[in-house]
Amino acid sequence: MEKTQNSPLILDIKGNSLDDGPGIRSVIFFKGCPLSCVWCHNPESKKTGPEISYDATDCIACEACVNFCPRQAVSRENLFFIDRDRCDLCFLCVDNCPSGALTRVGNAMTVDEITGKVKNDIPFFTTSGGGVTFSGGEPTLFMDFLSQLAQSIKSEGIHLLIETCGLFKLDAFSEKILPHMDIIYYDIKLMDPQQHKNYCGVSNEIILNNFRELNRMSAQGGFQIIPRTPLIPGITATHENLTGIADYLQSQGVHKTQLMAYNPLWLEKNKKIGVPCPMGRGAEKKTWIPQEKMMEFKAIYEEYGIQA
Amino acid sequence: MLLFQPKTEFQSSVSKFKFSPTHILLNTLLRVFAVNFNLRPGLNKYLKSDQGWINFTLGIQTESGSVQTAVIFNNGRVSISKTIPPHVDTMLTFYSDDAVIKLLSATPTEQIFMVLKGQLSPKGNQSYLNLFFFFLSILMHSKQKKQMEKERKTAKKELLKNSPTPNTRLSDEMTARHAYRMKAPTRDANVKYLKEPYLSEFGLEDFPRVKEFLDIHFEVKAEVCPELPKLVTDWHKQNGYEIDRSGKPWHPLLRKGHAYKHLMENRKPVIRKNDLIAGTTTTKDIGVVVYPEGHGTMLWAELLTVGNRTLNPYNVSEDTLKLLHHEIFPYWARRNFKEWVREKYDNPLCQQIDERFAIYFLWKSVTISHTIADFPKLFRLGTSGIIAEIKEQMKGFKDDPDKSAALEAMILCLEGLTAYSKNLARQAEAEAASEKNPARKKELETLARICAQVVERPARTLDEAVNAAWIGWVGLHMESTNAGLSLGRMDQWFQPYFEADMEKLKTDKERDEYIKHAVELIGCFYMRCTDHLPLTPDIANWVFGGSSSDQAITLGGVTPDGRDAVCDMTYIFLKVTEMLSIRDPNVNARFHPGVNSDTYLKRLCEVNLITTATPSMHNDITVMSSLDDLNYEIEDMRDWAATGCVEPTLSGKHIGHTNFQMMNMVAALEMALNNGRHPLLNWKFGPDTGIVERGDFKTFDDFFNAFTKQFAFIIDQSIDYNNKLAEAHQIFRPTPMLSSLIDGCIRSGRDVTIGGAKYNSSGAALIGLADVTDSMMAIKKLVFDEKKISFPDLKRAVDTNFENDPAIRALVTKKVPLFGSGSDEAVVMADRIAKFAHDHYWDTPHYRGGRYTVGFWSMSNHVAYGTLSGALPSGRLAGKAFTPGLTPEPNASKNLLDNIRDVARLNWKNINNNIAFNVKVVPHADDTREKIIDDIFSYVKTYFDLGGMQMQLNVVTSETLKDAMAHPENYRNLLVRISGYNAYFVTLNRDMQIELIERAEYGI
Repeated sequence: MEKTQNSPLILDIKGNSLDDGPGIRSVIFFKGCPLSCVWCHNPESKKTGPEISYDATDCIACEACVNFCPRQAVSRENLFFIDRDRCDLCFLCVDNCPSGALTRVGNAMTVDEITGKVKNDIPFFTTSGGGVTFSGGEPTLFMDFLSQLAQSIKSEGIHLLIETCGLFKLDAFSEKILPHMDIIYYDIKLMDPQQHKNYCGVSNEIILNNFRELNRMSAQGGFQIIPRTPLIPGITATHENLTGIADYLQSQGVHKTQLMAYNPLWLEKNKKIGVPCPMGRGAEKKTWIPQEKMMEFKAIYEEYGIQA
Repeated sequence: MLLFQPKTEFQSSVSKFKFSPTHILLNTLLRVFAVNFNLRPGLNKYLKSDQGWINFTLGIQTESGSVQTAVIFNNGRVSISKTIPPHVDTMLTFYSDDAVIKLLSATPTEQIFMVLKGQLSPKGNQSYLNLFFFFLSILMHSKQKKQMEKERKTAKKELLKNSPTPNTRLSDEMTARHAYRMKAPTRDANVKYLKEPYLSEFGLEDFPRVKEFLDIHFEVKAEVCPELPKLVTDWHKQNGYEIDRSGKPWHPLLRKGHAYKHLMENRKPVIRKNDLIAGTTTTKDIGVVVYPEGHGTMLWAELLTVGNRTLNPYNVSEDTLKLLHHEIFPYWARRNFKEWVREKYDNPLCQQIDERFAIYFLWKSVTISHTIADFPKLFRLGTSGIIAEIKEQMKGFKDDPDKSAALEAMILCLEGLTAYSKNLARQAEAEAASEKNPARKKELETLARICAQVVERPARTLDEAVNAAWIGWVGLHMESTNAGLSLGRMDQWFQPYFEADMEKLKTDKERDEYIKHAVELIGCFYMRCTDHLPLTPDIANWVFGGSSSDQAITLGGVTPDGRDAVCDMTYIFLKVTEMLSIRDPNVNARFHPGVNSDTYLKRLCEVNLITTATPSMHNDITVMSSLDDLNYEIEDMRDWAATGCVEPTLSGKHIGHTNFQMMNMVAALEMALNNGRHPLLNWKFGPDTGIVERGDFKTFDDFFNAFTKQFAFIIDQSIDYNNKLAEAHQIFRPTPMLSSLIDGCIRSGRDVTIGGAKYNSSGAALIGLADVTDSMMAIKKLVFDEKKISFPDLKRAVDTNFENDPAIRALVTKKVPLFGSGSDEAVVMADRIAKFAHDHYWDTPHYRGGRYTVGFWSMSNHVAYGTLSGALPSGRLAGKAFTPGLTPEPNASKNLLDNIRDVARLNWKNINNNIAFNVKVVPHADDTREKIIDDIFSYVKTYFDLGGMQMQLNVVTSETLKDAMAHPENYRNLLVRISGYNAYFVTLNRDMQIELIERAEYGI
């Protein structure tokens, strides 16, 4: 477990989200994840520590950063502009960048700061039936902090949803997190444990166990759980995998799931934080999933009586 | 006995000068011009009007004096003089020799931009300048037309290069929006007869008659109609203008009353084929009305080319051209608002500023019509009832000639209007007699009966009320140029007639059929409103592009006694708005939180989605609270309706000339940065307020004060001009017809132009609030608070359009909290600027009594004024558009909620002439209609809950707009909301199209 568990870094609080649960929502992105999915759409959320992001499209080539860096880690000669091995994250370059091309990824925020920020959006939550969504990274990586935060936001009467990978200690989750949540979006990525290990770094055993338990508890009322599957061409979006998931969901008495279409735009994000694409050079999936394909995938679920 | 004083005297710049080669070239060309007009009889005849030779002198010079020439038109001869005589009617001053050469080879559009950018500045009588350009175009029009065609082809080629094939997926998506129709989830309390208020059962295909009118609207090219100016000019030639036939000075009101009556009695009564409403504003299918005492003579220059121009072309028939040139325009060359002010006040500074276009524009140079007449009174009493009321009142005014004249003029107008409706009745009867189709024959017979009843006597049915509204509308048009003359609360005013008709019907079937008829009738009414276009000189296509007359209709809200006003007719109007998707009438909807239903607000959102841009939505509570200090009676205030674009007018009781001016606030900022000099005009006319480079501004407040001094100076100048034009209106165009339908005028015996209305005010439209706020924030934060850059460095970067200072530009655009970003400080800054404006206008005395109000919406002037402004401290580059209305800059925040919250928390006490807050939202292709509407509804409702005043949507992607730019044939009716009004995207000038494309776009 990470040292920083009790004080996570927040990547972003994104307001006005219409895709992360019902109504208009504010999404709080936590930095750090126990999984390491090769397709991760938010690669900057994998590590728990702070990072520097460089966006070449905003850069005006004023070279202020090059001149300010005390360790000569910034140079146009570097593959990703900043030599992360030399960089000691002093952030002088970020502070002196006029264009905003260099930014700090991950900021420590207190429970009160975050609550204060999302509270501004209460009028929008009220009219739209929206609320706050915890996302990441993996918010449950910071169980105690998340618990306090959830309690604080919930006390404002705000609807709460968590997006999770499912890899957590169930008792802690049930005790500290679950009482505050209205909805859980629960990722089920790959059915085959070995594949899960290959692509996500860990087996799916705990994840499936946790799902089974939570799904059972959900039937008693109090919260809703909705399984979700990201569609990654050639990896999760295979007939075999989706059939496996549909079969499993049916066995758990699930009638509703969400399929999340692959978005190749994430590939650009790796470059900004200076990491090569984890899919491997030349193996990047650069295309969107066509509409017909989506229909086919949905049809698989329908055969199992599950609305996708 | 002319009203006019002697011609203005102009001094040539220098007395001793050296001729430049340009001078010699220009003289040679002008001599060729003179020889042509002197020797060719076919041309020489153009120098003559029906009242004799047209004589005037035009001077042409450069600022340095290197060119000096005069063109003298005298008794049928043109002569060219190398010296400019001391008295000329019009003087053209060029910035340089190069500008003279440039003008000679420039396309008409380039010529316009030369004027706008100050490379060429005209002074003196503008009618004669336009006449001179007309003479030039007689020689050059084939070349001009070729140039226009070439310009178009080049532009088209450029567009097609970037987008060679149309994207039909995008254009089909726009059409498909009409296909799906939601049903109303509930019924509002005062909806009495509509079973399903959204009327989802109907589509345009159910109304072939209206569809046909819609095709005419899009396909028939407008034509200039000479009927009004011909009849009015003839009457004045016979009866005199300044003095009557007996030699006595005319009382302006009586002169106007008689001329108006003559016009109305003699206009051709036209009933459009298949229409359910009788009468037209012109004799053409789509006509352009020429008001000669207004800005009519501005068309003179373009008579031969207006049919060929790219933007807003109209046909001018040969007969019309002859009439206008020989008989009409010469009579009015000096008898119009602007020329009267020029002659009486010796071309005052306030007028000179107006005519440079970059600082302010005064609508009174065209008209005062922004108001709403008391239509319910016309329905209730008819002209006969109103005349009876006036006669009763007259008894008390026997000893007051002015008051008697005012009331007599009203009677003359009402008699004229009655005569017109009787002529329509006769026409309908005659057409019915010869009509072969039995169904149409019956309709014509009905129309004949309707017009025999209204407008003379009270309306009894919806058909009669609608026809009375239209005849009254035509009548108001015939009196004064329609710019923002507005229809008001038509849903409220028609509802009693709708109910009365419904009560008489016994069966469900009859009622269903009647509801369908009501939809069709209102459809006809909308299409009637499109029967004319404003007269737009080409320069106005660049300043007010794509605008029609902006005839606002206002729906919903509360009744004068505070009850829910949403009724059957509200939804019928919304249905028609949805089906037609036309730019004018400009539909505005009031939403009263706590009184009006969510069902109604959702319908407003759905109509916005389907039409992409209408109606504009207002928070009733906020609008009314902004009017608190004006001490209006509460019942009157609850009867407010939007005028022109968005501005509140108390229906039938208020002359609020709510768009008396368009004011460029950014000009004041630029003048403060340059010690009173306007950089683009290169003209120092403001006060000395300090020099940035000299370090005169020690604190931010020092600079803010310099800004307010410059701002106050241009406000005062603009109001000076407003007063002078107002005086011209009292002489040239009193409006007794309108006065008879505005509460207070009959009682007080005064015309609306001299303050007869119950309520008086004038409203300004202030442009560039976000741009000025952001610039002030950049100066405050970076120069004074954080001291990151020096003021002279920032100024240098601004002066050079940031060309050598990318780091400064990056700093100001990326590191300064802008208005709309959620920054408290930026909102405080915006309030501070708005409060200064509000207080300064408020404290300025008003010529009719009442107050000056301020609003933050911009029509399309944020684009035009942007073109005429340099770079700004906010990082906005030279020539780029400002933001529309008070909409935050697109980079202020990625989060729409920040925009919504910041606008909603402005201090509305400072904003009593409304706003235009644009939001461009783009629905996700896969979402259901219900989900999309829920999302849009959530934004609008929350904005209103937070206290926001007005919001207007564009529900279209930039991708679609780009496709429409290149392939306009697929988007003839793509509606966009500019800033307060609607326009067809494909008819806009290029700069405006780009501004719309670059607006922030929020996915939903």
